[in-house]
Amino acid sequence: MEISFICNGRKRMAAISGETRALDLLREDLNLTGTKEGCGKGECGACTILLDGKPVSSCLLPAAKLDGRNVLTIEGLKGDGGKLHPIQQAFLDSGAVQCGFCTPGMILSTKALLDNNPAPSVSEVEVALSGNICRCTGYGKIVEAVLLAAERLQVKI
Amino acid sequence: MSENKFSVIGKPQIKVDGTELVTGSAIFAGDLRFPGMLYGYAARAGVPAGKLKSVDVSKAVAVEGVVDVITSENIGGPNLMGIMPPFDQPVIAKGEIRYAGETIAFVVAESKRIAKKAALLVEADIEAYEPVLTVEEALADGARKIHPDGNVTFTRKLIKGDTAKGFEEADLILEDDFETSFQEHAYIEPEAVCVVPSGDNRLTVYASCQSPYHLRGQIAANIGLPMSKIKVIQAYTGGSFGGKDDVAAEIGILAGVAALRSGKPVMVAHDREESIIGSNFRHAIKIHYKTGLKNDGTITAREVKLLLDGGAYASESPFVVMKALIHAAGPYKIPNVFVESTAVYTNKTYAGAFRGFGVPQVTFAAESQLQEAADRLGLDALAIRRKNALRPGDATATSQVLNESVGIVQTIDAVGKRAAEIAAGSEDEADEQYLYGTGYASLIQGISNGAEGIDVVGASVQMSQDGSVLVGTGLTELGQGSRTVFAQIAAEVLGVPLDRVTARLVDTDSVHDSGATVASRATTTGGMAVFKAATEVKSSLLQMAALMFKTEAENIVLKEGFAVLVFDETARIPIPDVATAAYWTGFPLMNMAFSKAPDADYDHDTHQGKIYIAYNFGTHMMKIRVEKSTGKVEVLSHIASHDVGKVINPLGLTGQVEGASLIGYGLGHMEKIEYENGIIRNPNFADYAVPTIMDRIPTEVISVEEFNSTGPFGAKGVGEPPVAGATASFVNAISDAVGIRFRKIPVTRQDIMLALRNRGNQEE
Amino acid sequence: MEYYKPKTAGEAVSLKTDSRMYIAGGTDLGVLLSEFMVQPEALIDLTGIDELCGVFKVDEGVAIGACTGISLIAESELLPACLVEGAKAIGSPQIRNMATIGGNICNASPCGDTLTPLVVLEAVFIIEGDSGERRVKIEDFFIGPKRTCMSPEEILKIIIIPSRSPDQKSGFRMIGKRNGQAISQVNAAVSAVITGGIIKDIRIAAGSVAPVPLRLKKTEDVVRGKALGSNFLERMKDTAEQEVSPISDVRAAEEYRRKVAGSLLESIFRAMRKEAV
Ligand SMILES: Cc1cc2nc3c(=O)[nH]c(=O)nc-3n(C[C@H](O)[C@H](O)[C@H](O)COP(=O)(O)OP(=O)(O)OC[C@H]3O[C@@H](n4cnc5c(N)ncnc54)[C@H](O)[C@@H]3O)c2cc1C
Ligand code: FES
Ligand code: FES
Repeated sequence: MEISFICNGRKRMAAISGETRALDLLREDLNLTGTKEGCGKGECGACTILLDGKPVSSCLLPAAKLDGRNVLTIEGLKGDGGKLHPIQQAFLDSGAVQCGFCTPGMILSTKALLDNNPAPSVSEVEVALSGNICRCTGYGKIVEAVLLAAERLQVKI
Repeated sequence: MSENKFSVIGKPQIKVDGTELVTGSAIFAGDLRFPGMLYGYAARAGVPAGKLKSVDVSKAVAVEGVVDVITSENIGGPNLMGIMPPFDQPVIAKGEIRYAGETIAFVVAESKRIAKKAALLVEADIEAYEPVLTVEEALADGARKIHPDGNVTFTRKLIKGDTAKGFEEADLILEDDFETSFQEHAYIEPEAVCVVPSGDNRLTVYASCQSPYHLRGQIAANIGLPMSKIKVIQAYTGGSFGGKDDVAAEIGILAGVAALRSGKPVMVAHDREESIIGSNFRHAIKIHYKTGLKNDGTITAREVKLLLDGGAYASESPFVVMKALIHAAGPYKIPNVFVESTAVYTNKTYAGAFRGFGVPQVTFAAESQLQEAADRLGLDALAIRRKNALRPGDATATSQVLNESVGIVQTIDAVGKRAAEIAAGSEDEADEQYLYGTGYASLIQGISNGAEGIDVVGASVQMSQDGSVLVGTGLTELGQGSRTVFAQIAAEVLGVPLDRVTARLVDTDSVHDSGATVASRATTTGGMAVFKAATEVKSSLLQMAALMFKTEAENIVLKEGFAVLVFDETARIPIPDVATAAYWTGFPLMNMAFSKAPDADYDHDTHQGKIYIAYNFGTHMMKIRVEKSTGKVEVLSHIASHDVGKVINPLGLTGQVEGASLIGYGLGHMEKIEYENGIIRNPNFADYAVPTIMDRIPTEVISVEEFNSTGPFGAKGVGEPPVAGATASFVNAISDAVGIRFRKIPVTRQDIMLALRNRGNQEE
Repeated sequence: MEYYKPKTAGEAVSLKTDSRMYIAGGTDLGVLLSEFMVQPEALIDLTGIDELCGVFKVDEGVAIGACTGISLIAESELLPACLVEGAKAIGSPQIRNMATIGGNICNASPCGDTLTPLVVLEAVFIIEGDSGERRVKIEDFFIGPKRTCMSPEEILKIIIIPSRSPDQKSGFRMIGKRNGQAISQVNAAVSAVITGGIIKDIRIAAGSVAPVPLRLKKTEDVVRGKALGSNFLERMKDTAEQEVSPISDVRAAEEYRRKVAGSLLESIFRAMRKEAV
């Protein structure tokens, strides 16, 4: 079947089969390999994308469900004037990235959180990122990064 | 911390490879795409033990899109792999099945999905054997031999002094059995490799791996090519923790065979389930400890017996046997020690290297027993550790005299001071709903390969005419920040800003075989190699600058991007100008260094002698509360103090300690591979519980800096040691809270609640 | 593989054949598909059917469309606390943003986190199939682990939560191996009508303690008619421990399930007491 959707601000068309996963469409057909596969079963969050602004696991999402929707992947996240997005910068500054495999998903979950809740509490951060597993950092610096990003984004407004 | 006289070292540095990771542009092995690329997927045995009579691949071959199905006959070389003798693991099982996750055939197809579907159609005729599932079964008289030489993989002893005499001197003797479970690495990126036949009649292997040189050797041997025909390039690697070595070689060989047969690039990217059932774990160990102490807490003797469940193949079991053996006495001065450590084969997924390498398991048991002794003797937890702690000039359990960088007492005192501050600020603890407890643990962890063999690292440092620097080493970046540390060292030596330095991923063509990135040795021995190479380049720059300033080289320093005259700081020449002049004058601007750590020197029967070049020491405190009705645990505070020699990158260091600590907490509290008749019942992240962000612990890091002359700028590694500290302090905290000594880990919510209930019933 | 997106329930039913499967959020089905555990020729996506989406007030109480997302349930102000809490306990934000309540019900896992709440709320299901619409009470719906009374072509359309007295209070608790993204080792829900401090009416259920979400009627008998603040918790727990019939599996031991079920119920009642003060 044919679908069309907006991906990172661009209109995209694709011919897919019913079993095609959104993750494979993005990685194989659109070459957007920043979206990672860590488990294929919805359990790790490495494949997180934002669908109409909400985080979903693209490994469980049939590509057919993208039709007519708006997708943001890590490749579509940009800051002003070609700089890193403040969330990306905060992750670097806080040391919240080690191997980086969980990072695209973490950053997108953070984006969804901060878009809805610009000044989250620590426990709100934890709930929002509870679907993203990180084996390297122990999470402390990730929480710091999210709070730092929130602060910087608020100052901007 | 001492005052910092450095410009790059010791300052928090953002990862040099960070930008590509936060933008998603870093290419991990599974992200590679080549024209005509094929995908491989393994068919696995599915039964834990049996005689493999035949494998029928006809149905798989018939699937549309399948290009090739490889069986054991198609492996050109010996069809054997392993990191060290006895090299007992087939790439594809032949004749016998020894664990359920073993590969029996390898399907190559146009897409991963097709390959996976076809792999399910491979049929094997297996005459099942009764599986050998425990170390006791494996060692029982008349047990079926899993390998021809029997079920003992490797065994060693450590003998110091006379334990019988030591126990005679003791006022209190404790003797207990402990047990640990298999822990899965659970790096978020499952293993992946891509093998590409290149136009120059070589194979290029892009791999998510820990030891590119191991891959090169094992692929070459098994596909029958000279090693020089193979180039392994480390792709960005999504965590390893010891795990991406054997299995990376396994899939590298399979993909290599397939690439040679098809002439096409072949990708293997494991599913999560494969990553769990088909690659190694942390050893489950049955541990027996006997410790004798005087009434004042002085340890007089310790006897330990360790039975490591190594699963179906040797992997790194022999090394883990030794590391556990050497560390069983802990960071203490004990005159009489006897340890026997034995790895045993069973019909389960093989166990091998995992961050900590046997030390977390023995530390858990040792520190549990020491705490129990303290409680019985009415001694303070830190005081008993301090009393026995090694001091400079003391000898370890291997009789290695440590003259420098012995910071154990300092870590104990640092934790004591901070724990007192925390206690002063906390509320009254008794309440109806919760039990509160505090646990302490101290540890020692050898840095470098030590007893595990020669420790060499190659590095290259190259300055271009524009003054920018390229650093390469043979040790891998696995997320632990080694590229940043290497770049920092080169920047510090060459006096250039960090952003002028590029540290690249490993490429086996370009530096000396450096073995594996293990044993917390990247910063220590790897850093030393970079230091040496950079120092050679520095010497060229100084000689050139001396000509330009018309002075002697010793009057010049390199800093802030300039060659600076020591007696007139305003006299400066930009380093790019010096580099350009050096190039045109003919001073070498590239150096290939080779760093070799001093060899271990010890008696193999008693393990007495010099083993590691340095030791990391640490002390942890964990304060928790337990919800009585459910067994739910909350960690209220966690302090991790380590003697790291010298902090190179505080940001990277705290990240390492925090991450390792959470792995230790997982080991102590929730992670366990569940077997039923040799089949893993929880090969996924829903039922194998890795801590999530809602399970994190509030780790606070306190660094102690006791200069280590064998590391760059005095540093020593810290990647592994916190695992042991977190596990052991957690178990002590739980036991303190609940008032029941737990001797088996993980201690889960279920274990805690049921123990409380059972005690309640007994009291009634 | 084909993928259909019907616009009405009738259209969906007419598309259904033995080799085609319904899909809602896909969080349960997606795993089965990628492991080749089901291999349908086509998927029929129910989430584009408007009449199946949303939470509305109706004469009987509140109606929930089967394809309403778990995230929406977790934020709803129209629904009783126990159901909202149950929805919040499901998976992760990513899963909750995809999963539907109808999927949770039709998947019929004994540990489903909205099921125990629906049992104590005495939900009624409106189901449509070849022979038209029918209504099924939740107590008749589940017939075993992963098995329901629906025939293959039927779809679950609407979940009715009958209205209760304004004095109704409800609560939900679960326990898993860890805090985040945990699957329930056991979950429990209570719905009570408390008038003047007396528990007039009570419904109690526990999940993952039997092949289907289990209504605990004997335990209810212990509690019914008691003053909320009175001394019934120990007997309630003992009765609940007897009444559940769990098994041991990779997630938990039988004994733990039995005992922790009582603890979860106790915790719900304690919270109700606190709230009453
Ligand atoms: C990582 C992860 C964590 C999870 N954690 C939890 C948890 O904590 N608690 C919990 O309860 N569940 C959990 N689940 C399970 C799952 O998310 C829920 O059961 C979810 O509600 C299913 O809804 P769905 O819309 O995604 O169902 P689908 O996968 O779309 O469908 C499930 C089944 O129901 C059928 N079906 C769906 N809707 C209808 C309908 N209206 N009429 C007829 N048939 C229908 C489908 O054909 C399919 O067989 C988890 C799943 C994952 C992957
Ligand atoms: S890959 Fe999708 S959640 Fe793990
Ligand atoms: S940084 Fe490695 S998994 Fe998070």
